[in-house]
Amino acid sequence: MSIQKQAYKALEMVVGSKYISDDPAICEGYRSGPGGYESGLGYERVMTTIPGTVVLPRTTEEVQKIVKICNRYKVAYVPYSTGFYGPRSHCHVENELLIDLKRMNDFEIDEKHFYIVVGSGVVYSPIQQEALNKGAYVVIGGGGAQASAIANLIGDGWSPLSHRIGLPHRRILGTELVLPDGEVVRMGSLAEGSDPFWGDGPGPDLRGLLRGFTGLRGCLGIVTKMAIKTLPFQPEPLVPTGIAPNTALALPPKRVKWVNFQMPSKAAQVKAMFEVGKAEIAGAVTKVPLFWRAIAKAECKEEFWEIWGKETEETIKNFFIVRVLLVGYTSEEQMQYDENVLNDIMTELGGIPRPTKPSDESWIKNADSAGMWLMCGSYVSVDYIIESLSQATQHGEHYADLKRKYTPPLMPDNGDPGWFQSFELGHQGYSEFLVYWDQDEDTTGVDQFYLETAKMNIRERFYTSLLGPHQPLYLTGPKYGPNYHEWLLKVKDAFDPLWVCHPPVPLAHDDFVNRAEWMHPLKDWESPKKLPMPKW
Amino acid sequence: MRKDEMYDTPKKKVALDVNDLNNFVYDMDHCIKCKGCYWVEHTYMPGVNFSTRCPSNLWNDFDSYGAFGKMRIGLALNEGKLQWTDKLLEIIYADPLCGACDVGCKRNLDLEIELTLEALRVKAVKDGAGPMPVHKKIAKNIASKHNQFGSPSDNRKKWLAKDINVAEKADMLYFAGCSASYANPDIAKATAKVLNASGNKFMLMQEEWCCGNTLYSVGMIDDARELAKRNIDAVKASGAKTLVTSCAECYRMWKVDYPKMLNIATADLGFKVLHLIEVADEAIKNGKLKLTKPVDVRFTYHDSCGVSRLSDPWTPWNGERGWMGTVSPALKRRRGTTGLYTQSRNILNAIPGAKFVEMPRIRENAFCCGAGRGTKEAFPDLAKFAANHRLDEVKSVSAEVLVSACPWCKSNFNDAVKENGDNVKIMDISEIILASVEI
Repeated sequence: MSIQKQAYKALEMVVGSKYISDDPAICEGYRSGPGGYESGLGYERVMTTIPGTVVLPRTTEEVQKIVKICNRYKVAYVPYSTGFYGPRSHCHVENELLIDLKRMNDFEIDEKHFYIVVGSGVVYSPIQQEALNKGAYVVIGGGGAQASAIANLIGDGWSPLSHRIGLPHRRILGTELVLPDGEVVRMGSLAEGSDPFWGDGPGPDLRGLLRGFTGLRGCLGIVTKMAIKTLPFQPEPLVPTGIAPNTALALPPKRVKWVNFQMPSKAAQVKAMFEVGKAEIAGAVTKVPLFWRAIAKAECKEEFWEIWGKETEETIKNFFIVRVLLVGYTSEEQMQYDENVLNDIMTELGGIPRPTKPSDESWIKNADSAGMWLMCGSYVSVDYIIESLSQATQHGEHYADLKRKYTPPLMPDNGDPGWFQSFELGHQGYSEFLVYWDQDEDTTGVDQFYLETAKMNIRERFYTSLLGPHQPLYLTGPKYGPNYHEWLLKVKDAFDPLWVCHPPVPLAHDDFVNRAEWMHPLKDWESPKKLPMPKW
Repeated sequence: MRKDEMYDTPKKKVALDVNDLNNFVYDMDHCIKCKGCYWVEHTYMPGVNFSTRCPSNLWNDFDSYGAFGKMRIGLALNEGKLQWTDKLLEIIYADPLCGACDVGCKRNLDLEIELTLEALRVKAVKDGAGPMPVHKKIAKNIASKHNQFGSPSDNRKKWLAKDINVAEKADMLYFAGCSASYANPDIAKATAKVLNASGNKFMLMQEEWCCGNTLYSVGMIDDARELAKRNIDAVKASGAKTLVTSCAECYRMWKVDYPKMLNIATADLGFKVLHLIEVADEAIKNGKLKLTKPVDVRFTYHDSCGVSRLSDPWTPWNGERGWMGTVSPALKRRRGTTGLYTQSRNILNAIPGAKFVEMPRIRENAFCCGAGRGTKEAFPDLAKFAANHRLDEVKSVSAEVLVSACPWCKSNFNDAVKENGDNVKIMDISEIILASVEI
């Protein structure tokens, strides 16, 4: 099936016949899953379809024209940069147009004013290298070095490096957004026809509308261009070494260094993060799940399970590593000072230094999210929390407790409480809970666990960043905001009255719960009989 | 993991056997679209230029031309949801099977991408849809004239010059291959002279036939297997202990694909398979080959796929897949780590007077020239596009000479250079070694 003939012809006039196709083999390549982020789950099976047509624009003007044609012919469309973000970034309705933005790969760097300008098709690692070449750096989001920078920044956009660089909304400068009806909004200094050096603009700051805390999954238009703030780094080269799969950046030891400390308790771990932030030292401060270390050590999947099989509830409970990245941003002396301060903090808190390789396998240039699939074949982050350090780090144990009920199909991990770290020099804490499973098992439990985490957050009065389209709006909306769902739907209706832009998001998870029988027993919240959106 | 903690995952029989696409359902099923198959490994990412590793998907931007798209297509084909069409054949065959996707995937996920792509072509042929018409013509040439080009068999040894010493009987056998024999005789000559200069006595086959690279590569596995058997028997009959080739495609074929088709290990071939790179490196190390003549050029090196990421030895494997996708018995994955990366650079760095510069994409991340495995014949545009893209990289490091270790690469680059009027000279590693040897 394709989109209407007239619409297809009109689109072909915009991009040329080389860059549009409704061939079944071409469209099949854009299927969501079966592997990938959140793939192999009910949401993917129930909610995603292959596109009816795929189009590859090159410029903002082409995107505008495409979107206007979609409005004229009532063709549903989804913006797509790399397709890495699993089912939620793929087509959800029949005969949908997938707008593949990979050709929008323009790149500029302004080394004097410390920013870069990218198109939607530009991924992180080339950006990082270009920045490093000019003595600057950016955060490569946890989504990985292969994620589109724009897609990541309007969704998530943080990593351990956010300890110093900060959260993404501070780093989004001038931005160009094609609204769901095809009009262009320019944000920040672009709104005044200036260079994109400034993120705030006249009037309300639309960046909040664009991304909230974790984005809208492409249902409120298409960001075609963004200026991203870079920050000064240190001048020594980070040299790639090794042959894949054993590659790393060799670090200049007097300017960049990872250091691990074994702490006596979780309280000491959190306190250490707080004190490091308070002292305004370090480039990153993080605590990762123990099995990530096993992934790093293992030569293959089988070896991972051998290594991991030796762990017990006890060893997990007593694993309190804090991993710190020291960077001599200004000089070797500054680095030495930071290290001395760090050692003082750790000595006071009973932290014992552990041997650390003088290299970076992941975070500076190669954020290795793809490694998450090694163990089980499937993975999703069920929650992110951005809160105070003391609050954010409390959630993990609750998740681990809830998870036991759903293990199997979830991976047995001996109650690992997840990943947490310091953001913005300790002014904020971050916690992320990730789960893993084998997609060849019955994954009903994974679907249910995902939803139950939202209920647990409400019950326990935890804040969560995974609101909006990530969970049923009518479950979370009345409990947060209050009634943020009403505002979100008003915004959607105002900007996209036809709901052509990635329907049925942001009501997709509500729709999924309605359509998937195995989710019905969990539905104990009020929602309209008919969800307030057009039928596709 | 204690046995009692493991879920009751049913075990599935599986083998590394390209005759049946079902062996690779797990691999197709578990592609996560991270596009490690497309991007240069991120640690080595050079910047916004030269950031990709996949000629096919750079030539055609639709996801279906990348390995991640082909995995989804493969599943649909296997489940009968897609039918063979001209477009689908183009997607499957417009691909030099260069292995960049395979090593890219094995950085994190260890999926068998290369074998899946090969199995897809085997299926295309078995289904009566493949290969492409021009491939059938090549197959006819090989069957009738024992070479790809359909040239008379008698011309195969025309490259032999008077000043080359060929032994009647020797432990080493030089297998020149179709390209060096017919299209690039300078490579065959240079190789033979380098072997002479290094004191390596070598013989030639009584009757050398094509290695069958294109047959295997386009999915005509039954024909390729017959040829493999014939060729292996011929080497065994010659009494050679070592087969040396100067062609990356032949090297991969003899070392990897012959054992693969015959379900034996590389170690069980009954003779060693070496590329000239290995022989020359060893000879330089032990002082038998002296590179003393200065070669005053600035040159760079292109890692041909067959002597790099595709050249790990083959070991047959079959077993079971169970808990969380783990396999038993133990499987040593082929990740392209034993490519001739060091040996080639040892040689090039030993050439006096020359300035050797690396391109941004090297070793396992090298960008394929686009010629191999039936691509140039069926999709000349793709081969030209890939060569031009790689030549841009050559120019980016201001190299005057591009050296490779494969006659197919040399031909393809030469064609592009001629067409563009570029002033980059294309040389084979055998030629640059010879240029540095006092004879």
